[in-house]
Amino acid sequence: MRKIWAVIRREFVERVRSKWFWVSAILGPLFFAAIIIIPLHFAAAGGTKAIVVVDGTTSGFGARVADSLARDSAFTFAGLTTPRSGVLDSLAHEVGAHRLDGFLVVTDATVERGTAEYHASNVSSFRDIDELRAVLAALALNARLERAGVDPGTVSRAQRPIKLETKKISGSKTTGESSEQSFWLAYVMSIVLFIVIAVYGVNVMSSVLEEKTTRIVEVLVSSLRPFELMLGKVVGVGSVSIFQFAIWGLGGRLVLSQRAALVGNLSPGDVGREAAFQLPPVPAATVAVFLTYFLGGFFLYSAMFAAVGAMSSNEQEARQAQQPVVFLLMIAYLSVFALANNPGSMYAVVLSLVPFTSPIAMPVRWAAGSVGLNELVGSLVLLGAGIGVVTWIAARIYRVGILMTGKRPNLRELVRWVRA
Amino acid sequence: MTFPVSSPFPTPILILDRVSKRFAGHIAVDELSLSVPRGVIYGLLGPNGAGKTTTIRMIMDILEPDGGAVRVFGEPGGGRAHSDRIGYLPEERGLYRKMRVLDVLVFLGEMKGVDRRRARQRADEWLERLGLAQWRLRRVDELSKGMQQKVQFISTMLHEPDLMIFDEPFSGLDPVNAQVLKDAVLDLRRRGKTILFSTHIMEQAEKLCEQLCIIARGRKLVDGALSDIKRTHGGHHLVVGFDGSLGGAAQLFADKTLVSKVDNYGQYAELELASGADAQQILQRLVASGARLSKFELQEASLHKIFIDLVGPEAVRA
Repeated sequence: MRKIWAVIRREFVERVRSKWFWVSAILGPLFFAAIIIIPLHFAAAGGTKAIVVVDGTTSGFGARVADSLARDSAFTFAGLTTPRSGVLDSLAHEVGAHRLDGFLVVTDATVERGTAEYHASNVSSFRDIDELRAVLAALALNARLERAGVDPGTVSRAQRPIKLETKKISGSKTTGESSEQSFWLAYVMSIVLFIVIAVYGVNVMSSVLEEKTTRIVEVLVSSLRPFELMLGKVVGVGSVSIFQFAIWGLGGRLVLSQRAALVGNLSPGDVGREAAFQLPPVPAATVAVFLTYFLGGFFLYSAMFAAVGAMSSNEQEARQAQQPVVFLLMIAYLSVFALANNPGSMYAVVLSLVPFTSPIAMPVRWAAGSVGLNELVGSLVLLGAGIGVVTWIAARIYRVGILMTGKRPNLRELVRWVRA
Repeated sequence: MTFPVSSPFPTPILILDRVSKRFAGHIAVDELSLSVPRGVIYGLLGPNGAGKTTTIRMIMDILEPDGGAVRVFGEPGGGRAHSDRIGYLPEERGLYRKMRVLDVLVFLGEMKGVDRRRARQRADEWLERLGLAQWRLRRVDELSKGMQQKVQFISTMLHEPDLMIFDEPFSGLDPVNAQVLKDAVLDLRRRGKTILFSTHIMEQAEKLCEQLCIIARGRKLVDGALSDIKRTHGGHHLVVGFDGSLGGAAQLFADKTLVSKVDNYGQYAELELASGADAQQILQRLVASGARLSKFELQEASLHKIFIDLVGPEAVRA
């Protein structure tokens, strides 16, 4: 036991002492923030689109559209024109020369039959198309109602939008969490889980590989059992990751407590930015689920990474051999949208029960919707059993592999190692 | 735990009883039995691929024997249970490259059951003794290869073991470190420790070992005290040096009734006498044939010669 403890301490101290640990402790959250926010930012806002309205109506409907688009934040209104001959061609030329993003052609048929044309270089942005459609629909509805003699005041009152606030029910308590916040939480958790499990798993792998290539492992396994060595290594690296989380947690708390000052400095008076800094309230139960599944996932995957390190003779071989393990870990990560949008689906339930995917899938489901206690317990039991079986197999591969040099074993040899 | 080095123990410190190890396709060690008495320097000799490292790994519990039994300190089972009393230097050496020298030594000491404080103190003493004191807080990869070798010796001796097991300890050592290691081995022997080492360099074994075992292709060829082995396997060994004229030496050496084996270098020859042949008779006939002799010496065979004689046929059979 004392020897395992020494192995744990060596792993912990050597890692925490390295400058890479502190670089990732400090830059890690920035990195996470960047990979979380940047793609969403680009998906959401593709920049404003400069468009021209071609008014072919006899009722001045085009002017109303232009007016409405000029007030719309998604578009920059670039002008109003009538469909004289050659106008469409010259506009198309402008779009081709990237001086204009597109043009909208409205005619009397727009009000009568609900048809209009949008010519643009990019017509795959759902957000832009939806926005245009909504603007046109509202104006067409107005025009039709007015033509039927309805008072414009009544029309505008009738069009007052409904703001649907979503409140998540967790257990049977309504929380302050909105559906958007739930999704965000789930999304962020999946990224953090994926990266941290992968990074620290690879740490275990290179640690095994180092002892193997330097041959220290011979001295070690003549002093303690291979399984004890592997266990010490996994626990040691795991405690570094927990320490890392603790630093991130404390750092995050510090940043949040200084939020007002930070926001003030960034952009005084911009309400939208303050909202961006408003983290969703994360219930203690979610934190517990997150950490439990992180630890479970870490133990499961680092046992596999340890076996990969043991069966390889150098970094290059290890990089190849780790790929199946990384793919396995990626399954749940790549399913995060399906999991968060429909946490009750069969697919989501299966992923959150299978031990290889549950470490990411279950926290995501938990954050996105409510998970029954029996499901949670079942998933944890399966994860525990999975860790047991995988560790047993990995330990047997490890035991033989750490002393092997030369060619990487094929699957049949691996099976023989496990059976031996 | 202290061990009374002076008290004569009836049981050997290490016994192998018909130990075997098979790998896919070949038998590395085949029913090998040997017994290492306490307080001796014991050599495990054999050509490359003879099974020396596999044997040592089984003693150290790094590999499990497929058959037979290992007894260390009189108890069944390999060395892991006694790792606190065994120092082990594997054939291929290495240390954690990024760790500080002192930290590596303390950690490896802990692996051998020494508590941190004591390990640190002893590591400092050893580093001082081997002239590495100013390197104690440097990273291992900043040290020269020779210095790393010294650090590795220290790690095997830090816990003051009763039994040392060195696998090819002299291979890859520079002459200075070879001397350091040899002195350390002799010093340990004086203090009543037991040292087992493997080698394929017979000159070293001949100078250091009191007891030895020669193996080839996983099987034991001979074991016992060096002096006994020389007596029984040495034969009558004759060294002849010529001073210019060979006379009728060539015909004489070809006479199977006198010489059973000859290793002729021209101006120098090593002969093995045929059974019943008389060295004096050969001397007379050499002189009579006109040979001028600078040297005529009856010798016991070198360990090297015995080794080649024993292992040669095995190697041919392979």
